[in-house]
Amino acid sequence: MSGQEYAVSIQNMTKNYGKNRGVSHLSLSVEKGDIYGFLGPNGAGKSTTIRSILGLLRFQEGSISVFGMDVRKHQREILKEIGYMPSEAMFYPSMKTKEVIRLAADMRGMDCRKEAAMLCERLKVEPEKKIEELSLGNRKKVSIVCAMQHRPRLFIFDEPTSGLDPLMQSEFFNLILEYNKQGTTCFLSSHVLSEIKKYCRHAAIIKEGKLICSDTVENLTKSNAKHIHMIRDGKEEDFMYQGSLNELFAGFAGHDIGDITIEEPGLEEIFMHYYEKEAEEAAD
Amino acid sequence: MILYKHEMKMNAKNLLIWTLSVGLICFGCILLYTSLEESIQGIADSFSDLGAMSAALGMDKMNVATLRGYYATEIAMMHSLGGAMFAAILGTGMLAKEESGHTTEFLCVLPIERGRIVFQKYLTLVSNIVILNLACIGLYVLGFIAMGESGDLLTKELALYHGAAVMMQLEVGTICFLISACVRKSMMGAGLGLTLLLFAADMMCRIVPAIEDLKYVTPFYYANAAVIFAEGNVNLVMAAGGAGVIIACYAAAQWVYCKKDFA
Repeated sequence: MSGQEYAVSIQNMTKNYGKNRGVSHLSLSVEKGDIYGFLGPNGAGKSTTIRSILGLLRFQEGSISVFGMDVRKHQREILKEIGYMPSEAMFYPSMKTKEVIRLAADMRGMDCRKEAAMLCERLKVEPEKKIEELSLGNRKKVSIVCAMQHRPRLFIFDEPTSGLDPLMQSEFFNLILEYNKQGTTCFLSSHVLSEIKKYCRHAAIIKEGKLICSDTVENLTKSNAKHIHMIRDGKEEDFMYQGSLNELFAGFAGHDIGDITIEEPGLEEIFMHYYEKEAEEAAD
Repeated sequence: MILYKHEMKMNAKNLLIWTLSVGLICFGCILLYTSLEESIQGIADSFSDLGAMSAALGMDKMNVATLRGYYATEIAMMHSLGGAMFAAILGTGMLAKEESGHTTEFLCVLPIERGRIVFQKYLTLVSNIVILNLACIGLYVLGFIAMGESGDLLTKELALYHGAAVMMQLEVGTICFLISACVRKSMMGAGLGLTLLLFAADMMCRIVPAIEDLKYVTPFYYANAAVIFAEGNVNLVMAAGGAGVIIACYAAAQWVYCKKDFA
């Protein structure tokens, strides 16, 4: 697939903050029309990656392109195509909600009143309220309107659901799915695995600034890692296993196996499995 | 110019408060001159005994017992200091407020180049300084007319002084604008401290010969009203130096902000 066919293409990107680690040699690609989940705990490098895509951070090595355009050379053109929602949705406190939404549209040189009105209605945004009166969840809703009202080709959401109540989370994902049907690509970071599993087609896991895996959500959850629950020598055991089942069973020789269940792991377990595996390798 | 309009709106209240504060204080002091007129000669005599302090305040050049001298030594000093403090506060916050308020992720992801953000914010700074000065000058002129002394004061020297004062405030504001581009939190205290230091440097370099070279550092030196009213001109070399500082600081602010990481 050529760079033109990717919404986002990151090649060998490295971003350090002085001597502190940011992101190291990260490569990933998001196909056009995809909903792509970017998983990792706090401090793993998700926001650094997103801010590098947006041009907020200058990375030291590698390249990033959005719809085939280099972020270093075509930042303005790229930002026209993006609707971004940061993890901390902050605006000018003295402004009214409707003024912030209008300002975002005006800065894009677009009349987005119709789309903004629809979004405000669905997300129950109160346009007359001042930003300083809004809770985090309500500011997030304003941020969603600002990110979606101009109908961009690419959504980038950084931990979008934190602060949103379950009803709004559901409405938010409904909106993503509707825009996605019309061709909008979505790249969202999260540490809520269930929402990635439910809504994303592809996902990547990042740990300490390094990408540790990326695949379809289906393949990630159908990897050869297995969730083993067993009673061995009278003791209950619960663990993740990746490798040959023959070897696993060979290891049971001489033990009293009371019960055993082997299941496909959930995304959460895959996530933890990758983390534990990396930690073990680092310890060795 | 959407960002410019937005910034002008956001700063309107601040501009109004400072314009009224500086303008009305100086306007009031102009009107107070009538009540001081009888005792002002005594004050002038007292100041003449202060030696070097008279030079620092410009009273060795202007007679404080006239409205013209009173304006050049007292009113203009308040105007210069008030205007410079306003420029410093505005300048130090202009760019840094986006990072301290976490609004960078709103503003800088909109399709506008950082260079244009810096330009439109700087234009806001310049506009605010110019508006404050024009409004204040308007109030002072009303004061002169009310005092029946407009003929004595509406002169070339008045225009020269206020031109130099605007430039001095622009210089202070632009230095603070550069500081604002370099930091992540608004450093209003640093801006005000710098302004007071530059103001004090002007007074001290007139008193202490050993630190006379400070006149090349402080923009208050070329915008000193007593000197301009007494000599009828502005030191163009110093003013050109001021223009150079303004251009250099603006260019540096552009460079720093365009290269900056918003983590």
